[in-house]
Amino acid sequence: MRQLSLRQDLPRMEEDMSQSAVAEVSLQPAQPRRFLKPETQTAMLFLLPSFLGFMVFMAVPIVASLALSFTNWQLISTPSFVGFQNYIRLFTVDPAFYTVLRNTLFFAVEYLALNIIVSLTLAVWISSLKRGKAIFRVIFFLPTFTPTIAASVVWLLIFTPDGLADTIIRALGLGLPNFLLSSTWAMQAVVLVTLWANVGYNVVMFNAALDLVPKHYLEAATIDGANAWQRFWRIRLPLISPTIFFGTVMTAITSLQVFDEIFAMTRGGPGSATATLGFAIYQKGFTNFQMGYASALAWVMFVMIMALTILQFHMQRKWVHYDD
Amino acid sequence: MKVLKKALLLAAVGSSLYATAASAEQVNLTWQMWTGSETDTKSWQHLAEMVTAKYPDIKVTLTTTGWVDYWTRLPVLAASGQLADIVSMQSLRMPNFYSLLEPLNDRIEADKFDVGAFTPSIIGGMSVDKQLYGLPYDVGPWVIYYNQDALEAAGVPLPKPGWTLAEFTDAAKKLTKDGKYGFGITPTNYSVLAAAWGDKYVNDAGALDLTSASAVAAADRLIGFAAKDKVAPLVPSGGADPGDVVQGRFNSGNVAMYIDGPWSIIGMKDQAKFKIGLTTLPRDEGELSAVTAGSGFGISTTSKNKDAAWKAIQVLTSSEALSYLAEQGRALPARTASQSAWYKVAAKDITNGGEAIDYSLAHSVPYVITNNWAAVENLLNQYFPPAFAGSADAKQTMESIQSLAQE
Repeated sequence: MRQLSLRQDLPRMEEDMSQSAVAEVSLQPAQPRRFLKPETQTAMLFLLPSFLGFMVFMAVPIVASLALSFTNWQLISTPSFVGFQNYIRLFTVDPAFYTVLRNTLFFAVEYLALNIIVSLTLAVWISSLKRGKAIFRVIFFLPTFTPTIAASVVWLLIFTPDGLADTIIRALGLGLPNFLLSSTWAMQAVVLVTLWANVGYNVVMFNAALDLVPKHYLEAATIDGANAWQRFWRIRLPLISPTIFFGTVMTAITSLQVFDEIFAMTRGGPGSATATLGFAIYQKGFTNFQMGYASALAWVMFVMIMALTILQFHMQRKWVHYDD
Repeated sequence: MKVLKKALLLAAVGSSLYATAASAEQVNLTWQMWTGSETDTKSWQHLAEMVTAKYPDIKVTLTTTGWVDYWTRLPVLAASGQLADIVSMQSLRMPNFYSLLEPLNDRIEADKFDVGAFTPSIIGGMSVDKQLYGLPYDVGPWVIYYNQDALEAAGVPLPKPGWTLAEFTDAAKKLTKDGKYGFGITPTNYSVLAAAWGDKYVNDAGALDLTSASAVAAADRLIGFAAKDKVAPLVPSGGADPGDVVQGRFNSGNVAMYIDGPWSIIGMKDQAKFKIGLTTLPRDEGELSAVTAGSGFGISTTSKNKDAAWKAIQVLTSSEALSYLAEQGRALPARTASQSAWYKVAAKDITNGGEAIDYSLAHSVPYVITNNWAAVENLLNQYFPPAFAGSADAKQTMESIQSLAQE
């Protein structure tokens, strides 16, 4: 019975509520209806050039390359549809593909590890300095301003047979072969040059993050008897882990795309020792005129980068600490 | 009647004035060309001005690119519809790019243009399936450039055209001392030398055959200069064109002999501080087989001014233009009648220059290449350096290149 009376009361209550709502609305000054708030409109306006640039120079080429990967376009002829033939050829026929894949992963893993270790070490060292922090930050950041091709050409002259590197190796009696002529050492030369050219970016970023760690945390830890290593490992490192995570993701992406250094220093050689996916895409597309096949390679690279980034985001839960 | 006559007269005068104005309308042509130096670029600019001198209504705008970049940019420009009206083309690249060029046979026939005035081998080089796609400006066999001062200092007799591989190797060994090398080699010298020695790297069916005994033997000899005899410096596969690196080392006196064509004299005379000599490629036991190449100018299929471009390329390859290039040392003219100018002027200061070219042309053979030669050359550049360094043998090297080139 109670339920029944409630149901009977409901229409009247709804009527009262709607009347009071109307009364409240009618008290507000009349506002013109807008599709977007003014601040949103301004934001949209400022974002428009970037959006247009993204559409024209990124989205369209990305879609075009996907379409081209199903053709046999040779640049100077009309493309014809070949279905999955480029992908099948890539995984089952091309004798160079797995070498290129192995080289790319080898470079990415070694370079990523060295970049993070070296940049973190340098950042901690700069952070510990009482004087000259700014100078050292500039010194390590300077190579990132230099065009990679120009830097690579200079390094090519250093590593060229009978060049400066050979002279030093001979003088030190190390017994190493010329890096650019050795299938074993050529990739190490590329890693070294890429590290020299790019490590400064992470150094500056990590250094800035270290400087933002609250001093009182460290002072409290010192009072509690924590030594320098413990303060770094237990306090500073967890607090800058979001920055390290960002640096790791970005460095991993760029390492998988490495091209400039290889183009300038080795052209994929000696043999195929330094042929990576980035270089293979250039070679197939622009020197062998197999643009459809090169597009298929580019999509393999895209999938690899995407997979690695997803994996990194998944793994971050275990080691990245956000200050919520 | 008088009114009608006056009207007709006025109409005639008007139409003739209109025709004059139309014929005087400026035609702007673009011309894409490679260049190796500032001197080189000036020569091409001079040729562009020769076109305007003959046809004041035609203006040719020259754009230049380095040799290696030119061949990367060409298909990109074609794909994006930005080809110049006049496209420069090398005979060895013609099988790859002839579809970008306008066939010329009909124009040649209509204007009774004298193709017979050119050296036949380069007319063949600029043709595909008997259709001519470009008028050639130069032709040239690969020869050996040598540093005469270095040879004389080492007591090596100046080589005579037609010298043998044994004589060449002996000279290279004697010239290798005090940190200097007797011979500068590049991976792409392979096909030129293999042909000179009578070795085959393309089979009778026209397919690449780098693993045949003959092809491997030629590779073994070439690799031996660096890996075994150590008479040649090692050049990495990256960086600039290995040919430029070796030419640089020759010009600086670090390498006593190297392989190049007559087209390189223009840059060398300014840079080398020693007496330069020319001789033929070393032959094996048989007669020398000297491969030749050359370049010329075609009309882009997308040009909107094909008639003007046809007039322009006739000027660019005229006797006057080729004599000018010969005098500058830029090119051994493709026109037979103009070749004497090159011998008299360009080869004048070059010891045995005329004799070496004459001998080579008399022993010239077609340069046998495959349709994917650009890819093959890239692979040669990648895979020969470790072999030169002694970490791979000729057989392994050729097997790798053959396998990858077939892809």
